[in-house]
Amino acid sequence: MTAIAAERYTGASIKRSEDPRILTGAGRYVDDIKLPGMLHAAFVRSPMAHARVLSVDVSAARALPGVVAVLTGADLEAMTVPGPDALMALMGWAGPTPEFTLLATDKVRFAGDPVAVVVAESRYLAEDGCELVEVDYDDLPPVVDAAFALDPGSPPLFANLGDNIARPHSRSESGDVSATFANADRVIDFRIDVHRHQNAPMEGRGCVASYDTDLGVMTMHAATQSVHVSRIAVAMRLGIEQDKVRVLAGDIGGSFGLKIGASREELAVAAASRHAGRPVKWVEDRGENLAASGQAREESFDVRAAVSQDGDLLGLDVKMVIDTGAYPGMGAMVPDIVEAMFPGPYKLAALGFESTAVTTNKASYVAYRGPWASETFVRERILDLIAKDLGLDPVEIRLRNVALRTDPPAAMVTGRPLVGVTSKESLQRIAQLVDVPAFRRRQAQARAHGRYLGIGVATFIEAAPGPRSPEGPSGPMGTESMRLRLTEDGIVVLFTGQMPHGQSHQTTLAQIAADEFGVPFGQVRVVVGDSDVVPFGLTGGSRSATMAGGVALHGARQLKAKVLDVAAHLMEASAQDLLITDGNVWVRGDPASAIAVGEVARRAASEPFGADVDANLEVVATFDGGEGGWSGGTHCAIVDVDVETGIVKVERYVAVEDCGALINPAVVEGQIRGGVAQGIGAVLLERSAYGEDGSFQSATFMDYLMPTACDVPRIEIEHLETVPLDADVNFRGVGEGGMIVAPPTVVNAIEDALSPFGVRIYEQHLPPARILELIAEADPGR
Amino acid sequence: MADITLRVNGAACTGSPEARKTLADFLRDDLNLTGTHVGCEHGVCGACTVIIDGRAVRSCLMLAVQAAGCEVTTIEGLAADGELGALQQAMWDSHSFQCGFCTPGFVMQATAFLGDHPDADEQQIREALSGNICRCTGYQSIIDGVLLAAQRNRQGATGNAEAGRP
Repeated sequence: MTAIAAERYTGASIKRSEDPRILTGAGRYVDDIKLPGMLHAAFVRSPMAHARVLSVDVSAARALPGVVAVLTGADLEAMTVPGPDALMALMGWAGPTPEFTLLATDKVRFAGDPVAVVVAESRYLAEDGCELVEVDYDDLPPVVDAAFALDPGSPPLFANLGDNIARPHSRSESGDVSATFANADRVIDFRIDVHRHQNAPMEGRGCVASYDTDLGVMTMHAATQSVHVSRIAVAMRLGIEQDKVRVLAGDIGGSFGLKIGASREELAVAAASRHAGRPVKWVEDRGENLAASGQAREESFDVRAAVSQDGDLLGLDVKMVIDTGAYPGMGAMVPDIVEAMFPGPYKLAALGFESTAVTTNKASYVAYRGPWASETFVRERILDLIAKDLGLDPVEIRLRNVALRTDPPAAMVTGRPLVGVTSKESLQRIAQLVDVPAFRRRQAQARAHGRYLGIGVATFIEAAPGPRSPEGPSGPMGTESMRLRLTEDGIVVLFTGQMPHGQSHQTTLAQIAADEFGVPFGQVRVVVGDSDVVPFGLTGGSRSATMAGGVALHGARQLKAKVLDVAAHLMEASAQDLLITDGNVWVRGDPASAIAVGEVARRAASEPFGADVDANLEVVATFDGGEGGWSGGTHCAIVDVDVETGIVKVERYVAVEDCGALINPAVVEGQIRGGVAQGIGAVLLERSAYGEDGSFQSATFMDYLMPTACDVPRIEIEHLETVPLDADVNFRGVGEGGMIVAPPTVVNAIEDALSPFGVRIYEQHLPPARILELIAEADPGR
Repeated sequence: MADITLRVNGAACTGSPEARKTLADFLRDDLNLTGTHVGCEHGVCGACTVIIDGRAVRSCLMLAVQAAGCEVTTIEGLAADGELGALQQAMWDSHSFQCGFCTPGFVMQATAFLGDHPDADEQQIREALSGNICRCTGYQSIIDGVLLAAQRNRQGATGNAEAGRP
């Protein structure tokens, strides 16, 4: 019918528009920013885990040529406004609220706690200045583990709390817990630990703060997952009206949850810039990043499982303790998500859940890719342990317990409906892909030759964004907004509060908008990273695909309707008869009528229209997540464990994933693989290690071991796209799933490999030395 | 301060870095070549890799004054005429990277390696790049990019240098 062909971008592995700058060194990261008169900051940090600060002598540092200012905790306290952690305040935290300063004043609370900041003409000189700051400490007993923190006799880190409880003990029950346990054939007890590890993005934290003394305006160039959360944090602590704080962000070298808002150091740098009246840059070095940026997990779970003789998981009773480190962060809020997600996709009839969060003399808790992931680790670990006790196959016990898709959908015992969940399909598909019987034969042959292979599977679901709930929007962090404009050059500009740091939003959101509006991909520009021009938003919680993808789609639709209204007047046609294809508006059936969308915008700006036509070609769209839905899937690892050295090699890794409709398969698969790599690292290599005295023992990449190209295998991925729930938006988030499910997948495989020795595993960190210990403990005669 | 002369990306340049200044900081601060990234400052992560006299070198472990008289190539030197080099193109086509912070180091390391080993297989490439850390990708897409570049080099083929296409 027509010579004008529409090209569809959504669903194709469109090459990223971010890459030409990234591949040529033209990306602009925060450390690449240079402002006239810019100074450099470095922090003096505590070598002690817990100590009173008796004195801080900065006189020698202040006298060093090139040093412009040295600020202590007391100096900073006088220049800033006390208050809670901005992110926790935004999230509505109402529990214990420790009073803390940006730099230590009366005491230090972990090895790496900042005590003073030196501002100088260069980073080299600032570090020279740090060497000259004399701090006199008086040791306090370190509170290094959760057990001691729970002891009412442990010395409180924060005087205003009086103890080390960051979240008081609480218990709740979903379903009939006592009846479920009373009717169970077996009740099995487990204690499972998840170790402390951390984000370690390749670029650490950093900022350039630039205070304009005349205007009273703070401009902060930041590496952040949300320019708005950073803006709010700076405004709160510095006592500046929010409209006088502008946060800008360019390219960001990864984050994984670390860089949400502004950290204590970044706020101190902002205050230092206001004090000095000059721009100040701070970029943390790797030692600071590992010791002081924040760490995650470190949770213990005492679990009782009610089980039937046939392998039905009937109920769980869980006691969780989370060690949130020194300063307040979202760790105290994590148990709520862990509890809600604990049933996973399974037909659990009852869940008892109690939790406590404690404060210790270690780096502060930060979000790390799937902060609640331990629910999946514990549950998927327990299912394998139960399967072993009952002689069931790991796939079989899961198929037996997963909720099937029914109408109305089954619900988790903690409340949320399991609408559209394809756990059963992913389990069945992965069993086919890896051919479990064939593997078992190979495993038996290998064992006969002293080689220990193992297979592990684990299943997860992730609320990305989660199903629509009857009471309102389904997005876990509220609605998502986007401003869209058609320029006179014919460019559709999207202003988004998403702050990509590897997620490729400048490509994926453009794909969606280009299709919906009807312009070539290159005619869509995605603007991020300026709190003065983008709407509120946050990249995190795997929310972008649905929430930002959805608002891009609906926003482009709304903008298109406006453009067609204007074009209808210009072209003397009915808007219903107009199409936009390949950047041109044309009358259906008459390709010769086509005019470029930029021409429509130019005439909209220059020609008079009646009051009935809105010629302002800009919209602000909002999306509530639509019908939402779950992401999820099943992963399988095959490992080869060398029982002489304890080295584990992941021989094969297969993922069957369902994140609904794919926007860009290469981007989706990159997210999955990256998450799996972090999960493999968490199990085999990574641990944020502390000594008994609270000293930090993994402050370099020689001590904190990151997975390399030789540790991560090819990861085979197959996608299920089985259940569209929404009329338009069926993209679901995929950012966290790999990191959520890979740890139990790999640990399950290791336990399977070591089953001839009778090894049972109740922990997540399994470096070679620990593998050898587990074998020796299980099989002392060996 | 010491006056040094070296060649960077084909052009002669002089500077007066402090004796203690690393080559990475000299490139970034004094020459404004911010494509070279600093990821660990102790030679483990490889983000700061540049090519010096044909060899991949960690510029965080080398002092600027040690580069006097050397021929240094940074990431900015690979697409000097505005066109992506064959490896960069293959990495774009392979969706090799995400956040991009480790990217310059991988590109420089792989450039040096492929120059010496044009027929390398996957395992050899993995080992050659195992001194570079990427936190985002799980490495597969990077390895695929290097393999694609090697294959194209052997076949004399090129990629499609256009955005908005698969």
